[in-house]
Amino acid sequence: MVDLPSPTQPGTIDAIAPESARRVRLRRFKELAAKVLSNPATVLGFVIIFAMLFMAIFAPWLVAPNVPDPYQMPRDWAATRMPPGTPGHPLGTTNEGGDVFYGVVWGTRMSLQLSLIVVFSTVVIGSIIGSLAAYFGGKVDEFLMRVVDVFLSIPELIFALAIAAILGPSFGNIMFALIVVFWVKYARIMRARVIQIKGSEYIDAARIIGDSNINIYLRDILPNSFTPVMVQATLDMGNVVLIAATLSFIGLGQAGIAEWGVLVSEGQAGIASGRWWASTFPGLMIFLWALAFNLVGDGLRDALDPRTEGR
Amino acid sequence: MMGHLETDMADAVRTAPATVASVRDLKVHFAAKRGVVHAVDGVSFDIRDGETLGLVGETGCGKSVTGRSFLRLLPVPPGILAGGSVTFRPHALCEDCDGAGCDACGCTGRKAVVCPSCRGQGCATCDGTGAETIDLLKIDTETLRKLRGDRVAMIFQDPGKALNPTLTIGQQVAEVFLQHRTDELIELAGLSPETGGALRRFARQDHRFGDGILLSLPPFRGQRRRIQAALDKMVARALAETQVPNPASLMDRYPHELSGGMRQRVMIAQALACNPDLLIADEPTTALDVTVEARILELIRDLQMRRRSSVLYISHDLSLVRRICDRVAVMYAGRVVEIGPTAEVFRNPRHPYTRGLLAAVPTADTPRGGLAAIKGTVPELVDPPAACRFAGRCRHETEACRRFDPTLEPVSETHAVACFIDHPAPEGDQPSFERITE
Amino acid sequence: MQLRDYIIRRLIILPFLIIGVSIIVFSLTRIGGSPIGIYLSHEMTPDEVAQIEARFHLDKSLPVQYFYWARGVLQGDFGWSGVSVAPVSEVFPKKLAATMELSVAAGFVAVTLGVWLGTFSGARRNKPADHVTRIVAVSGASMPNFWFAIILLIVFWAELGWAPIGRATADLYAMVPQRTGLYTIDSLLAGNLAAFADALWHLILPAITLGYGATAIIARMMRSSLVEELQQDYVDAARAKGLAERLVLKKHARRNALIPTVTVIGLTFGFLLQGTVAIEIIFRWPGLGKWMADSVLRGDQATLMTYVLFTSVLFLFVNLIVDIVYANLDRRVELGK
Repeated sequence: MVDLPSPTQPGTIDAIAPESARRVRLRRFKELAAKVLSNPATVLGFVIIFAMLFMAIFAPWLVAPNVPDPYQMPRDWAATRMPPGTPGHPLGTTNEGGDVFYGVVWGTRMSLQLSLIVVFSTVVIGSIIGSLAAYFGGKVDEFLMRVVDVFLSIPELIFALAIAAILGPSFGNIMFALIVVFWVKYARIMRARVIQIKGSEYIDAARIIGDSNINIYLRDILPNSFTPVMVQATLDMGNVVLIAATLSFIGLGQAGIAEWGVLVSEGQAGIASGRWWASTFPGLMIFLWALAFNLVGDGLRDALDPRTEGR
Repeated sequence: MMGHLETDMADAVRTAPATVASVRDLKVHFAAKRGVVHAVDGVSFDIRDGETLGLVGETGCGKSVTGRSFLRLLPVPPGILAGGSVTFRPHALCEDCDGAGCDACGCTGRKAVVCPSCRGQGCATCDGTGAETIDLLKIDTETLRKLRGDRVAMIFQDPGKALNPTLTIGQQVAEVFLQHRTDELIELAGLSPETGGALRRFARQDHRFGDGILLSLPPFRGQRRRIQAALDKMVARALAETQVPNPASLMDRYPHELSGGMRQRVMIAQALACNPDLLIADEPTTALDVTVEARILELIRDLQMRRRSSVLYISHDLSLVRRICDRVAVMYAGRVVEIGPTAEVFRNPRHPYTRGLLAAVPTADTPRGGLAAIKGTVPELVDPPAACRFAGRCRHETEACRRFDPTLEPVSETHAVACFIDHPAPEGDQPSFERITE
Repeated sequence: MQLRDYIIRRLIILPFLIIGVSIIVFSLTRIGGSPIGIYLSHEMTPDEVAQIEARFHLDKSLPVQYFYWARGVLQGDFGWSGVSVAPVSEVFPKKLAATMELSVAAGFVAVTLGVWLGTFSGARRNKPADHVTRIVAVSGASMPNFWFAIILLIVFWAELGWAPIGRATADLYAMVPQRTGLYTIDSLLAGNLAAFADALWHLILPAITLGYGATAIIARMMRSSLVEELQQDYVDAARAKGLAERLVLKKHARRNALIPTVTVIGLTFGFLLQGTVAIEIIFRWPGLGKWMADSVLRGDQATLMTYVLFTSVLFLFVNLIVDIVYANLDRRVELGK
């Protein structure tokens, strides 16, 4: 029989020596980046995201901010219901004389703020709860995970709708509702990850060397849990905006603000009379935003999934 | 078959009068990120009527890809059939001797089907042999489909994966008959050969919208049941051939309910159901226990003897090949490096790689610790240079081995090797077994 | 044996999950405003208010309040709908029928189209047709359905005048006796083909809009599991037996690829339920979703909470059924890992 020893043995030694572990991680990151960018759909997602970021960051230079509150739609009562292409209103105006282009641009800034705040808070809350459950195990784990199960039994949008409805229509309430609904998935991911890593060999190795628990957590467990959380967070960047817009559309948004869902809702009244633009453009932005993050999220997941190797 | 003499003596492997299949200069490439992988790079050999040819080599040497090319079961893309031919001569049981083997036709019990375009006179399509010759790589998919499972069958490495987990054993074996034995099925059911329409479609697994309803109504209902009963009978008979206990009860079981050995028996029953001329066995016992392996080998051997099928036995296990094969072809890095009768190759290996392989096989007289491994690993097959593929791992290589590419040349009537030790290189230092160059 | 244990375990957990959901719903009613807000008016004296509070046990501790609330729910007392000016339990079935008609139609669109698209795409992996289908699928999951509905209305209703809005033409439907509350079924039962065609005509656009997202989810899952199945050895083994490619796909690969696809149907169901809210508003479809949105804007808590409770329990049951079906279909599956 011809069984030749494989030349390279996958190293578990890496994790024991922190220096090389970091280098290994860096190399893996580079490989991952190359793999992600080889998928044209993912690249398209990145391009849209960068365009959106540009719009959000440079909003004050693209359209002069409304005074005093830039997130409030400016009203030009002299130019209501203008079609796209009108001088000064490239995408037309709404029934109330709001500039659709203004809404599109400042809506991007608003969506960015919303999604960053919601995703950041939910990642932190979810990770803490998930890690605690995994760390303590036993009854604490059992209790926290049952809570997670209950939260997951209520369909996302309906849960967020109920919370936002109880608190009353406002953008802040929508944000709060989303945080309450979205943290659970991260708790699950983190818990699974921590339990898995806790049982793996190199953590034992770290214990033998005499590392403290907190050191192990910060240096080994957290960085190793990064990838699944990152995939979910990317997908959620899109989901959050989609659900927030839906809630705004239903009527839980703040009337008159430069938020895409609110704009689609306000523009809806005009479609019977042929004024299609007031709903179409803000809605297109929601779609592109969600699409971009979904493309990137999917690309990341595929790149991280060993089963899709060599596609 | 008429005594057809080989004219092309350079092709040492083509000396047999009756070949069931010939591979000529087969090239299979795979498109990979790093470049084009030459997985099979100019492979030629014949499979003679009734023989077992062993195809041995390390993992990744291209032996499985070669085997799969017979049935065009390669993933395309990324696989590319880059050249060559795999010709196949369908055979039929000799009427004169009824499979016993006779002088009248000089056959082993089976004889080649007469070429339809020249009626045995010898023409271009049959390469002058007068026997029907089919290029498996060029025929249309429908012709190929009819050959698959009927004239050329295949057994896969892992029976656990090669059986569909959601269909019963009976349903899976039945498919072979439904595809290739529709007429017999209708006859066995006692129906008229002219039976057509939904019933015939039922007997060839071709379901059309509305057939289900039609066949559930009398009188079709009863006739459908008769076909089903005939089918069950044929399946049970095929399973019984592989000596499984209680074949009738086996038919309703699912693959996961069976042991590995039982599953492989089912695969064999399925493959041999239509009496194929050629059986491709791709490491059929690798996934099995050693004790089960012996019994499965015995079964294949036994069935092959009785039916006079030819077998291409793909394996990485030399000792196994030695036990069951008439001839052996050694593959290395996409090439056949040595081919000849098993006994001769094992007694007098002419390629350093074959020697290395044999030295790595434990035998009864191998002293403890006396096993030699070949240094290094199989080279990457991305755009290989014009040089001996084994250069770099060979203990006898010289400058010439790294500059020229040796071709397969005969060393005797039956034995051929691709190495400069027996066939001098165009120029430069000649390698020899006496000189070890590390 | 194993399967039965698994189902029993799931059934034991189920009531606890339902109690958990009910606690969340109850907590929500106590967080925002006063649960009796709709009975109060500015002219009431504090005494009168206290009287009403006592009637609804609001003067007791929270656990006791939960007990009274849960007892009411179990007895079918879901409170009073201010929007419909009737008890919630009375209006609910009618609204549910309208929503069900829409979701079932959308689900039908999603399953047939999704499975077909996924098969089409997976069988042509990495070819242009596959890329187009994948783009359609990814956009479906990112599409805000209310915007998609508006775009379709702009084209087919405002510009072309082809599609209607609402649930049925009132004159036609008035002649049909209501038995099931599903207009298409009722008109068929009554043998009124004109009313049936009208009901179907009204159903098509909202069903397509609602079903699009779910179609995308199913198509995606179907594609990836088909691609995976097509790489299995048994697919090659089927080819080696002489099966035509069409049969290999139909009898072997697609059949097995459908099994994991069943799991996303539960997910799809949640997606459809959520989707009805916005779709019903836009198409003026008198179902649960629109009722819900109206109630939200009017601060009608009882309706809202009934809705949340109902959808969650339904969602839980559907997921349980899907899991059981999946476990039965796939003999390889390992339960309750």
